[in-house]
Amino acid sequence: MKPDRGSLPLLLPAGGVFLGLFFLPMAGLFIESFRLYQPGSIGSAANAPFTLTNYAELLTPAFADFFLETMRISLLASLAGLLFAFPLAYWITRRFSPRGRAIAVGFFVTLMFLSVLVRTYALELTFGATGPLRPFLQALGIALNGRPYIETLVGGGLLHYIVPMATLTLLGTIQNVDPRLVDAAQALGAPGWKAHLTITVPLCMRGLLAAFLFAFTFSISAFVIPMILGKGRVLFISNLVYNRFSEIADYPSGAAISMVLFFVALAIVYVTSRQVNKRWTS
Amino acid sequence: MSGRALDNGLRLLGLVMIGVIVCFLVTPIFVTAVMAFDARPYLGPLPPPALSLRWFAKFFSDDYFLRGLGTSVELAVLSVTVSVCVGVATAIAVERASFRGKEALISFFLSPLIVPPVVTGFALLLFLSKMGVINGFARLLCGHIIITAPYTIRATLAGLSGIDVSLTEAALSLGATERHAFWDVTFPLARTGIVSGAIFAFAVSMDDVAVSIMLTDANTYTLPVALISSMRANFDLSIAAASVMLMLLTLALIVVLDKFVGLNRAIGQGVFRS
Repeated sequence: MKPDRGSLPLLLPAGGVFLGLFFLPMAGLFIESFRLYQPGSIGSAANAPFTLTNYAELLTPAFADFFLETMRISLLASLAGLLFAFPLAYWITRRFSPRGRAIAVGFFVTLMFLSVLVRTYALELTFGATGPLRPFLQALGIALNGRPYIETLVGGGLLHYIVPMATLTLLGTIQNVDPRLVDAAQALGAPGWKAHLTITVPLCMRGLLAAFLFAFTFSISAFVIPMILGKGRVLFISNLVYNRFSEIADYPSGAAISMVLFFVALAIVYVTSRQVNKRWTS
Repeated sequence: MSGRALDNGLRLLGLVMIGVIVCFLVTPIFVTAVMAFDARPYLGPLPPPALSLRWFAKFFSDDYFLRGLGTSVELAVLSVTVSVCVGVATAIAVERASFRGKEALISFFLSPLIVPPVVTGFALLLFLSKMGVINGFARLLCGHIIITAPYTIRATLAGLSGIDVSLTEAALSLGATERHAFWDVTFPLARTGIVSGAIFAFAVSMDDVAVSIMLTDANTYTLPVALISSMRANFDLSIAAASVMLMLLTLALIVVLDKFVGLNRAIGQGVFRS
């Protein structure tokens, strides 16, 4: 069909929706983050003066700790997710019959579509302090209300989504790697692990980076998982935004934290996709 | 040879990792499904001595949950309808147009996906209260439209871009009007993209907490928000019963997706990426 300007009005509904429900609100949030907050009031006054205190406050060690904790748990969960998903995807691609593969895909799509509430509740019910595994975990000497265990549980919550997502992403990637390359390397005397490390993994790097990007951006913006599994001991940046809103009504500070979280997410997407484009497009 | 031994060791390690992770993924779901049918009136250890439907009965006799369920279903149906219409219109315009900056326009429409949902919700909350929108349902609807629209736009675009332009041209040269060519040729071919977008949008709407929790009011709240607050208050098994029903809903959506679109194709259309 010829390019026609007649269909441009079709962009109007989306233009209205995205402008009114996304871009203007985001701009408003940006402005709010510079407003002065009077303790005790709800949000900033209509023409409160502009200030940088909301951001300055975020440089204190207390906030830096929340920030670093979010980053640390997210990074570890993402890397662990890839570590588990890679052999899983490899095994499914190389060892399963087409029918078995279709069943595996259905299994992982279902796990990925699973409501985050169901996921979180199920993990808390199974691994939480009152769960059926309690005697077993206590026998191992694990303190169920200890910080390390709670952090692990939050990471586990993230992993429960990351593994199915990364496995599905990697299935296509591994499928595109010719198995004869590894066979050839082995026929020439390379041990299997070396053949995989120097052939399969580099050829899958693009898929691995993409899966990492999805996993990491998902993790740093996680809300329900740390809220329930963290039991108030582990708070992610998202939870902090919500607390500023629901507990003390300090909207300007919530807005500043939101802006930091937003720019971090943006930077991660930008850096990772630049890496992908730089290496794999000529 | 030590290389061979190392290979076997690593292969074994790989299999153990696969076993461990699959157990980790499946066990919680299995435990929840069993506990939901527990006949004991309290949260006891596994396995339940007797089975019953008491927690399902409790869920359905709780007005707080039912109200949330009603709002969630209404919201999902309305927001998916709006998002599918917006998505189809946008995808057609983007697909037909050949102006420069088409890629930029697409990333513009997908940009809400990289914003953490709490941030989207908070921004909307501030904006809507400045605009004087205080009705809970209206606010929730706004939130759900903006989180679902990127998915319908992307999936419809993916569905449309798989269509050979010459098919539409053939219809036009055979005398079809542009409108007929659209409804009889393009639309049926684009349907898989529209269906997968709609299913994913529905799942996103039914599942959202982070945006909705900001926009609820005392009387209007969604089921996930109701479940979250009762999860924090007391951890009882009516939530397990709700979880079982939500799992069945997920399963139903997957079956529909597989039947109408095909799972591999739906994955190819990138429905799940955030």
